[in-house]
Amino acid sequence: MSDQPDNTSRCPFTLDRRRFLQGLGAAGVGVAAGGLGRPARAADDHAVTGAPVSTTTAQAYPFHGRHQQGILTPRPAAGMVVACDVLARNRTGLERLLRTLTERIAFLTEGGTYPERDPAYPPADSGILGPTIAPDGLTVTVSLGASLFDTRFGLADARPRHLQRMTGFPNDALEPERCHGDLSLQICANTHDTTLHALRDLIKHTPGLLMVRWKQEGTVPVVPPRDNGPTPSARNYLGFRDGTANPDTDDATLMDALIWTGDDPEEPAWTRGGSYQVVRIIRNYVERWDRTPLAEQEAVFGRHKASGAPLDGAQEHDTPDYAADPEGRITPLDAHIRLANPRTPGFEKHRILRRPFNYSNGVEANGQFDMGLLFIVYQADLQAGFITVQNRLNGEPLEEYIQPVGGGYFFTLPGVVDATDYLGRALLEATAT
Amino acid sequence: MSSRSLLIAAAAFGLMALQGPARADVEPEALVEPVAEYKLYVLDNLDAFVGHTRDFTRAIEAGELERAQSLYAPTRVYYERIEPVAELFADLDASIDAREDDYEKGVDDPDFTGFHRLEYGLFKQQTTDGLAPYARRLMSDVKDLESRVQGLTFPPAKVVGGAAALMEEVAATKVSGEEDRYSHTDLWDFQGNVDGSQKIFALFKPLIAEEDPAFVERVEDNFAAVEATLAHYRLAANDPEAGFVSYEKVSDKDRRALVGPVTVLAEDLSTLRGKLGL
Ligand code: HEM
Repeated sequence: MSDQPDNTSRCPFTLDRRRFLQGLGAAGVGVAAGGLGRPARAADDHAVTGAPVSTTTAQAYPFHGRHQQGILTPRPAAGMVVACDVLARNRTGLERLLRTLTERIAFLTEGGTYPERDPAYPPADSGILGPTIAPDGLTVTVSLGASLFDTRFGLADARPRHLQRMTGFPNDALEPERCHGDLSLQICANTHDTTLHALRDLIKHTPGLLMVRWKQEGTVPVVPPRDNGPTPSARNYLGFRDGTANPDTDDATLMDALIWTGDDPEEPAWTRGGSYQVVRIIRNYVERWDRTPLAEQEAVFGRHKASGAPLDGAQEHDTPDYAADPEGRITPLDAHIRLANPRTPGFEKHRILRRPFNYSNGVEANGQFDMGLLFIVYQADLQAGFITVQNRLNGEPLEEYIQPVGGGYFFTLPGVVDATDYLGRALLEATAT
Repeated sequence: MSSRSLLIAAAAFGLMALQGPARADVEPEALVEPVAEYKLYVLDNLDAFVGHTRDFTRAIEAGELERAQSLYAPTRVYYERIEPVAELFADLDASIDAREDDYEKGVDDPDFTGFHRLEYGLFKQQTTDGLAPYARRLMSDVKDLESRVQGLTFPPAKVVGGAAALMEEVAATKVSGEEDRYSHTDLWDFQGNVDGSQKIFALFKPLIAEEDPAFVERVEDNFAAVEATLAHYRLAANDPEAGFVSYEKVSDKDRRALVGPVTVLAEDLSTLRGKLGL
């Protein structure tokens, strides 16, 4: 409810009354259908298990383009990262893998009907979304890890310049079984089941080529539509709006500078149109956080919790003025946002595009929740981007409440431009002997 | 009538119970012989299984720890080969081959019996003390299994489906090393499952070889790939009896190298029933 637009109500009573009526509207349908005071008819029972309705199942993002989807694409409510090892034994196998992924992703993101098979055979699809699937805002983003550029496929000379095995930072407690991988799949959609369906389809079509190494699912809380003004950023599991200060994705020149690899003459030519992807599974100690005074929480981030505004501002998208606060009296010098982006001249090139999801996995032996942030960022230059920013954040007060436990560095392949193209084609052609 | 033709007749009888039209070009009668052959294979393995179980359980009852340890894996192999048939008897499968994870109280659960209970005593606790009752129970369960299988009419769909089921076993529990977590003899079981699957495939292959040579070739290639990786880990190249190194010694790279062909086999063999119209 706190994410309701509040600019419509001058009088709190009006707002409360409206909310009350909205609530009644949703809950009241059943009562109205059955008639007040009368028992519901048998037909109403089906409503209990009828599928929940969504108006966005037909939403589709075009698969073909210079860049892959899932980077500048608006972040939907469900996302996951699946890191895989490539089992293909030679370049032929690798090409088959990349062509198969291309073909499946093209189908899945457009939607369509699976072929019917003789019932004596296993069906063509898991069927968890029925024989005809809707795109539901699905995107699948394919990226390669540094380990794929070893001796197996003859790719060593074509490794993106900054691509390397992720190393631990001081606050990390990396679990080997949740780190690295030859290839990552970032799968996002309006609903969780659509992402899972896509994953099962991709894995079923790549036996002997891919083996899942780890997987982390996440979500983004939804907000009601707004009539005017920008949609506020979604909140993470520490209760703060996350994504506010991202670089403007509508600014193509800025994206070319900050997100898309290619301008650097020292990068292999095939990387043009790709991007460095960093994935970090960052545990949040939420019980402890919830027992931390609000003023301290806000000082840790340098933003107001309710609005997302910087500590010296009033609206979420106000720009903090650190120059006017050189000693950090308003925004502490070690506040997360101030360390992550001091907004000093020349720092622009270190900006990164964050596209995270919240995750919740279960319960630890101590009874505390295993929750946190599936942190995903994109940048044209891994070194200038994530690595520089993370090094600045080392030792920040936020570390008391978080701990990175997994993830990896990957290079997101350039897009598939048309039906004759496939993911990684430029890489394979550049390394053909 | 020889026992062989008797079996063929019995298998043919089993087929008559088949429901619905067959879809592939394979005539139901064509399945009679391979199904009967398979029953012979199963009975041969059961016969050996009973004999090996006798030696194994006697060693335990005699308190011969080392001998019992050395007989553990070579005995299980026979069971692993015929697992799809053995699993038709859920009660025996549980008492012979359940793992501690199948019980809420784990190793301390009074219902936890069979090979893996003995494995826990022999390899984790390193003693035969207290194992005699489990050994006696295992012996009687295994004999019971043999007599029940003798009287069983083999449903062809189960037999053919067994080829894929065995690879599913490998994919689900063998690659991870969770099957024999104390003895680390997983590769023996692995080989047993692969043997059993390969046997079924070999028996039915003639029925599809002409129609689908590419499929047959791919399956055989993947079996060969698995065998080649397993061969690296044999203690003696020319002596299958010598067995395998501890699964702990299998590198992550090789574990992954096994996943590939195993998954393709599971995927391909899952179509075998369809190809045979079952
Ligand atoms: C669990 C871990 C983290 C949490 C909960 C978190 C949360 C936040 C929040 C609430 C903001 C302010 C709103 C916004 O601009 O989006 C923010 C900003 C930011 N964070 Fe994080 N963050 C985390 C980890 C990281 C990491 C690992 C990095 C990079 C190494 C990072 C880089 C940034 C950047 C660059 C900004 C924008 C700063 C600006 O331009 O003003 N964050 N983060």
